Amino acid sequence: MSTAGGSNGASIRSMLRSPAVLIVGVVLTWFIAAFLVWPNANVLIQTFFPDGSFSGRAAEKLFSSQRAMKSLGNSFLLAVALSITVNVVGIFIVLVTQYFRIRGSKVLFLGYATTFIYGGIVLAAGYKFIYGDKGIVTGFLVGLFPGMDPGWFSGFFAVLAVMTFATTTNHMLFVTNALKGVDYQTIEAARNMGASTWTILRRIVLPMLKPTLFAVTVLSFLTGLGALSAPQVLGGREFQTITPMILTFSNSPTSRDLAALLAVILGVATILMLAVMTRLEKGGTYFSVSKVSSGLQKQQIRNPVANALVHAAAYLLFAVYTLPVVLIVVFSFADGAAIQTGQLLPASLTFDNYIRVLTQPSGLRPFIISIVYSALAALIAVGGLLFVARLLQKYRNWVTSVVEYLLHIPWILPSALLALGLILSYDHPNPLVGGAVLTGTTVILLIAFVTVKIPFTLRMLKASFTSVNSSLEEAANIMGAKTLYVFRRILLPIVLPAAAAITALNFNSMLDDYDTAIFLAHPLYQPLGLVIKANTDGADGVDGVSNTFVYTVLLMVITGVTMYLVYGRAGRKAARAGRAGTGDKGSTTPALIEAAPAESVRVP
Amino acid sequence: MRRLKTMVAGAVAVALLSGCGAGAAAPAASEAATGPAAVAPSGPPSGETLIVYTNSNGEGRGEWLTAKAAEAGFKIEIVGAGGADATNKLIAEKNNPIADVAFGLNNMYFEQVKAAGAIAPFTPAWSAEVDAAKGDPSESKAYWPLVQQAILLGYNTEKFSADEAPKDWTDLWTQDKFKSRYERVTGLGTATAQLVFASILTRYKDETGDLGVSDEGWKQVEAYFKNGTPAVAKTDLFARIAAGDTDMGQMPSSIILEREKSFSVDVATVMPSVGVPLAIEQVALVKGTDKQDEALKFIDWFGSAKTQGEWSQQFNSMPVNKAAVATAKPEVVEFFNTLKQQDIDWTFVQENMGAWVEKIELEYMS
Repeated sequence: MSTAGGSNGASIRSMLRSPAVLIVGVVLTWFIAAFLVWPNANVLIQTFFPDGSFSGRAAEKLFSSQRAMKSLGNSFLLAVALSITVNVVGIFIVLVTQYFRIRGSKVLFLGYATTFIYGGIVLAAGYKFIYGDKGIVTGFLVGLFPGMDPGWFSGFFAVLAVMTFATTTNHMLFVTNALKGVDYQTIEAARNMGASTWTILRRIVLPMLKPTLFAVTVLSFLTGLGALSAPQVLGGREFQTITPMILTFSNSPTSRDLAALLAVILGVATILMLAVMTRLEKGGTYFSVSKVSSGLQKQQIRNPVANALVHAAAYLLFAVYTLPVVLIVVFSFADGAAIQTGQLLPASLTFDNYIRVLTQPSGLRPFIISIVYSALAALIAVGGLLFVARLLQKYRNWVTSVVEYLLHIPWILPSALLALGLILSYDHPNPLVGGAVLTGTTVILLIAFVTVKIPFTLRMLKASFTSVNSSLEEAANIMGAKTLYVFRRILLPIVLPAAAAITALNFNSMLDDYDTAIFLAHPLYQPLGLVIKANTDGADGVDGVSNTFVYTVLLMVITGVTMYLVYGRAGRKAARAGRAGTGDKGSTTPALIEAAPAESVRVP
Repeated sequence: MRRLKTMVAGAVAVALLSGCGAGAAAPAASEAATGPAAVAPSGPPSGETLIVYTNSNGEGRGEWLTAKAAEAGFKIEIVGAGGADATNKLIAEKNNPIADVAFGLNNMYFEQVKAAGAIAPFTPAWSAEVDAAKGDPSESKAYWPLVQQAILLGYNTEKFSADEAPKDWTDLWTQDKFKSRYERVTGLGTATAQLVFASILTRYKDETGDLGVSDEGWKQVEAYFKNGTPAVAKTDLFARIAAGDTDMGQMPSSIILEREKSFSVDVATVMPSVGVPLAIEQVALVKGTDKQDEALKFIDWFGSAKTQGEWSQQFNSMPVNKAAVATAKPEVVEFFNTLKQQDIDWTFVQENMGAWVEKIELEYMS
């Protein structure tokens, strides 16, 4: 079954032997052709070959523009820097909440988990309330050091800091999950042999986390490349990124080729990053292979100085994470003028903002529409890709490589162009979808939502399959279990926590979508993003800003509930299992893992 | 069965239409331009649901209009989107239109929509009550004016007296006392920003210059960006004026009263000798709608002196409909009476705006 030594041809043949694989293959090929390749090829052809002939105009214009090149450089700088800083902070917060014995780690976890529930422009604004030139911390610091520049928190450093703290969500979910799969026996053995805390971490724990770390690194890179609101709010003159320019140009029919070219440049960079990570990931074994593996127990940091330092850093980070949320909630009760000037008077806090937002004639309807759309899209994306991700991870040949890269197409183009591609391709009866016209239906937005979420879902699912011990599957196969049976009874239960987390994140990220919905939403079923935009746009008065805050808090409530339903309950179950003293494996299947044959741990 | 027949008839019609379009692409466009303008039939509204696209739905406008239309017997569903988004949406959907009516976009946006063939010529019942020069300049009129808005340079009266204040946009970067004291835009995506540049660049029209503008004109743009303080995302100009971060900037006339109150600042506006640019919000009939009669009846009602008067009263705007001016707020009418409109060659602006925005974004913004 191992593909390490097998030739491509053999792998393809063995892959095609299973009827389940064949069916999935056909459906997948249709989906990729109809919704990933065709619409986007259409929009790119129309953009780059407006009159049927190619023009190098876009490249010429862009490369001779100092601003475009500088912004592009900044985006890349941010992407590379974020890939490092998010990993450092992300791994640190996962270790202090899950690996080391730290006092109050549950409270710390809740603080770090605040990034699950909000982001975007409001998050950047939240940081500005604290560290900006009129911010609370800045005011305090200027009191201490009168010579200090009140505008210290701006530029590259500020953007990097805010984005680092804002995007550790993937670490909190997926690295935590992977850490739970690390075999404690190995750690104990190493300690008995005299290995230090640091050595154990570096040589045993981190190598096991690699597939997940690779996957979240690609995501951090992508987040950096696509940075929009943090640079706009905090970047100042010298650190602006390329995304605002892409958005302006994709809105102008005569400049859309520039937007598409920029997007393709970013897309290609992302795909290259992906290829590098896939290469690094190959050939390693990332699952526990000891005969009797057991659940992780928290480690005491033995050096008292190191222990104190780690505690201090953990609590400092806790403050950094939670302060903006607290202020956003408080400011959501203030009037728009107070929010924009950053001057808060306790007397000015009222429920007016909430009353105004919630008593609109449209009322709760947009919330419900968005919840239904997001839930459907999240479930379809994860459900549809579970088996696909497994196949792509198991069979490594040129067919699966091509499929995998094609599934990443939505990462290449901004959502506005994806939406335009769908309209161009399906505003007339199209044989690819059985001759139906999709524009003006409720389905087209759902298709767009599902498509947009494919790359992220696939990356994370594949990473979680990689950390599943393949000997379990081999054993089942030897005993005569069919592909689907093995998938359903052995693999699925192991990756389910990760799948649930991905579903929740997908759901959360689509609730306030505007870029896709604006072009594709059915006029009678308008999702929340459009209502938010109508109520918050800069030109729409002072109330707009306070409405932004109210919507953010309302979304925090919805996403918070989602995360609790998906994660809080799973966490409690795991905790109960741990207390009961059964070899705690979270929601994985301990019996099966224990049955795995012994083999020395091989890491790349 | 009847439905099938209708569909077949529709398909045949589409085939015929697209056939003649394909046969002679260029003449087809001019034919559409000179084709007969649609007029609403008489009779009460049927109550069919109309889909209305607009960028003018904020601050309760959408809800107000939906309720008022319902009183008049129209069932409308408002789809709100920014000016550029609504324009792109109308163009993208031209083969299978979803909207029936679009309003709120200014002439620059509607000219793009018209060029793409997504709106159809029509004549509203109130055509005689508006100044035709404010709408579609061509022979066959595909969009008609509703509301006008002046795009102004406003300054903090606490910082500058009327004598010290700038007399025109160009003063901002030619006189040292204004340098770094005015807010400059960080993107040209909004209609307001585009109109400010239209106002500046048309003064330097030069057929031999780059994109129809002389070098001197482009120098103005360069100086504008070099000497202004960049706008801050999600922070209103008035908030920055109140905080003392900046003293002046661009603003559409309709927001001034309300923002002055919210931020407790007093702002006066500059009246350049060449006049100020007007943004004129228009209304159009979407081409290919299957509810054309109802849509035209709605437009007749919406643009009428009565509805426009109520709208102006409610949202401090200045109606184009002369018969509606009497019902608008007196201070608004007074302001527009004293205001001089800048003479702008809109055809020239519309032809070049896309390229101007691109050039400015790439070369002058920093």
